[in-house]
Amino acid sequence: MAGLPSIRTNRARDGWEMSSLMSLEAILSSLTLLVVAGPVGLMACFLPWLSVNHQLSEVNIARVVKGTIGISLLSAICAAGIMLSQGLGQHAVELGDWVVTRSFHLKFKFVLDLLSLTYVILTLVLCATIGAFATRYLHREHGYNRFFVLFGVFLLGMVIAALSDTVETLFIGWELVGLSSVLLIAFFHERPAPARNGLRVWVVYRICDAALMLAAVMLHEIQGGGDFDHLVGPSGWPHNDALTAAPHLAIMGLLFVIAAAGKSALVPFSGWLPRAMEGPTPSSAIFYGALSVHLGAFLLLRINPVLDSAPWLSALVVALGLSSAVFAYLSGRVQTDIKSALSFASLTQVGIIFIWIGLGLNELALIHLVGHACLRTLQFLRAPSLLHDHHQLENAIGARLGPEKVQWEQRLSPGLQRGIYRFGLERAYLDSLLDALIARPFVGLFKAFDAAERGWTGWLNAEPTAKPKTTKERA
Amino acid sequence: MTGWPYLLTLTLLAPLAGIVATMLTRDLHRARRVSLGSLALTLAAASAAGFDAYIGGYGERPLVLGAFAIDGVSALMLPVIGMLQLLVAVGTSKVHTTHASSVRLLLATLFALSAATAVSGLVLIGSMTAAAAIPLWDLHSRRRSLRAYLSYMAPALGLLLAGWIGISASPGINTGLMAAGLLIYCGMVPGHAWAPALFESGRLGSALSFALPMMPVMAVVRLLLPSAPADVLAVAGWACLFTGVYAGGLAVVQDSARRFYGWLVLSQISMVMFAALQATPAGLTAALCLWGSAALSLVGLALPLRGLEARFGALSLREHHGLYTQVPTLAVCFLVAGLGCAGFPGAIGFVPVELLVSGSFEQGWWVSAILAVIVMLNGIAVMRAYFSLFTGKRVAASVSLQATRVERISIASVVIVVLMGGWLAPNIVATRHALADQILIERASAPH
Repeated sequence: MAGLPSIRTNRARDGWEMSSLMSLEAILSSLTLLVVAGPVGLMACFLPWLSVNHQLSEVNIARVVKGTIGISLLSAICAAGIMLSQGLGQHAVELGDWVVTRSFHLKFKFVLDLLSLTYVILTLVLCATIGAFATRYLHREHGYNRFFVLFGVFLLGMVIAALSDTVETLFIGWELVGLSSVLLIAFFHERPAPARNGLRVWVVYRICDAALMLAAVMLHEIQGGGDFDHLVGPSGWPHNDALTAAPHLAIMGLLFVIAAAGKSALVPFSGWLPRAMEGPTPSSAIFYGALSVHLGAFLLLRINPVLDSAPWLSALVVALGLSSAVFAYLSGRVQTDIKSALSFASLTQVGIIFIWIGLGLNELALIHLVGHACLRTLQFLRAPSLLHDHHQLENAIGARLGPEKVQWEQRLSPGLQRGIYRFGLERAYLDSLLDALIARPFVGLFKAFDAAERGWTGWLNAEPTAKPKTTKERA
Repeated sequence: MTGWPYLLTLTLLAPLAGIVATMLTRDLHRARRVSLGSLALTLAAASAAGFDAYIGGYGERPLVLGAFAIDGVSALMLPVIGMLQLLVAVGTSKVHTTHASSVRLLLATLFALSAATAVSGLVLIGSMTAAAAIPLWDLHSRRRSLRAYLSYMAPALGLLLAGWIGISASPGINTGLMAAGLLIYCGMVPGHAWAPALFESGRLGSALSFALPMMPVMAVVRLLLPSAPADVLAVAGWACLFTGVYAGGLAVVQDSARRFYGWLVLSQISMVMFAALQATPAGLTAALCLWGSAALSLVGLALPLRGLEARFGALSLREHHGLYTQVPTLAVCFLVAGLGCAGFPGAIGFVPVELLVSGSFEQGWWVSAILAVIVMLNGIAVMRAYFSLFTGKRVAASVSLQATRVERISIASVVIVVLMGGWLAPNIVATRHALADQILIERASAPH
């Protein structure tokens, strides 16, 4: 009988702990949804106005951007604080199966863990900074509303991708990021170069999207669903182990690597990164300096046990990272405009981050990613006033800045120096190589098919099929 | 369900009444309004009939007018057909509308609806034959050569009819004949040359109202699946898969906006046909979902194209036109509908495309890979056309080229359908999946 009160006390304590744990989980789930609700609210503010072809004022846009990102950021920080204080490694938020058939599941699921919280807080902090910067930088710019609509799409995509716990949720965020990136590269509508560059980036993105789609299908086939925790285990990141050992696992890993390489502009897809600088500076900063370019690294960090399960895949990631870092360093050294130089500097660091991932140093990769994103955002945002900063620095020290120190390449033979210079200037001939090996044969082949089609229908109809005239031909 | 059988009667009679009323109305503008009104009535009746059948669980199939009935397959397609024909009509500019064009559109609507609800194979083939005559009428009225169109469509209908007549005697060969006829009818390689020629030299409205209801998909479900051997379906499926890549690649390199659109339509139809011919629950579910989503996205893509053609004439994709600042509404519609075709997340085509790519994996990973390539090519083609038409140049117009009120309403409808349609996916997929199971059970019980 003497033991009864203590049993009661234990039961009461257990019950209290259980109910407090449940309420904690409910709070975390609510906070996760609030993080996503911010960008959704941002889009929701724009859509009714867009539908009636009305533009919001700049002041209202600034308020909406600040308010919605602020809510998301505050929720993410609260969630991180609660998880740290309670020692929770992972919290999943299931929104349920959206589409279910016997062979197909489309599930929306978010997860809070070290990786997702770090990336989502980084995203929100940098987007808040860029949002505040862009409201001034783009003041009275034609397309101000359009920029912030696309900014909202990007933010939504990044938040969804960062918090995703199923491959289909990740795919949705991934695609939204890609679309908004491309449309912002072609932001300056009146010139042909941004449109051409936007199309080129879109082509690369579609290739890596196709790889991700196939990887997602394989993931469903291998484990009967798209949940990452079925693949990498329920322990919170980075303490994951691959749960599955299927024959297609390495092929699936390879598809994930291709998708990541395309999104992060690794060799051989690197050519699109400097072209992406056609967009306005705020979008260059956030997309290609800070967040979008790291999304490939984020993907590989999320599925890291898959890489660990196949050593050749890890070696491939290291090789891709190393070659991209060397290529970007050499190309960046010969750039003559600041945004291109910064883009190649970004790529060098992204390459090194991939090396860490390939070597299994995932925490180091995450720390490097966060530090690099913050530094590069700052550099991109200061890029338009670089000369001003330079003069200020000279004024502060009261003298001219000295000439650049002797670099290692000046110790090489002149022939080798010239070779390296041309290699950097031509960007390792990567674009020419892709054009020669893929784009031109594809276009040539299908143009030949088209000519044959026109000839055949012209012969059948006994009348040639005429192409529509261009403006010049009409004139 | 049978609660309101007269809804289907009204659906079929509304375009017929519209034809009579249009022909009796002398004033052209009034005739246009009459045809639009009858198409709107058709849409309303078709939606009500489809909803009524859905509520009733597709149970009984009472005959209407002696030859037509509504079932699970047609219940969803009736409103889709009604909507796309109405959008085709709305997208035709006033200056291009004639009594004949209105009558052609109403006839196309009638034949598409009758094909969708036909109970017997003969009525279905008859409706398809009658529908095939409408582009012929259109080409003739424009004094364009009929030879390319006739040299494909006549054998297609001949093969279809011959196969149907002999199907009970020798199902193997005759289903093969029917499959060949259907593949030519919907423009699969190598029987495809009529399609880009029709899109280029015919009126876009006639081509759309003929191609987009995708009557061959209905024929596959009704005529082929119950009795065709697996080999016939597999060979036909390969032709569709090849067409998807071929047409997708050609859509990417086109110099003319019309031909780009024509090849894109073929590429999309090929995916729907491939899915239908797989004869698996996943494939058939994907086909039944993709059918409607592709048709609505494609008609949405046609709206801005027709709007631009009405303003600027035939459009070349060899140069940048920079029309975004002049017609931003059309640009947004083009992008949204195009992304719907490319299976972009959140749009109407996302779930069906995912379902198709995922469902095809059991036939081999490379089948899924080919489908992913088709989706990729369609996405690239759409974005290339978008950049070419709407960006890259500063254009100053002396008059306002903004979308008209009717255009704005139709564009808003398309954008809402393409974006909101994606959110209805769970319910649509569930009903289509049950339907696919039912069709495949019937196929399994039939002798091959």
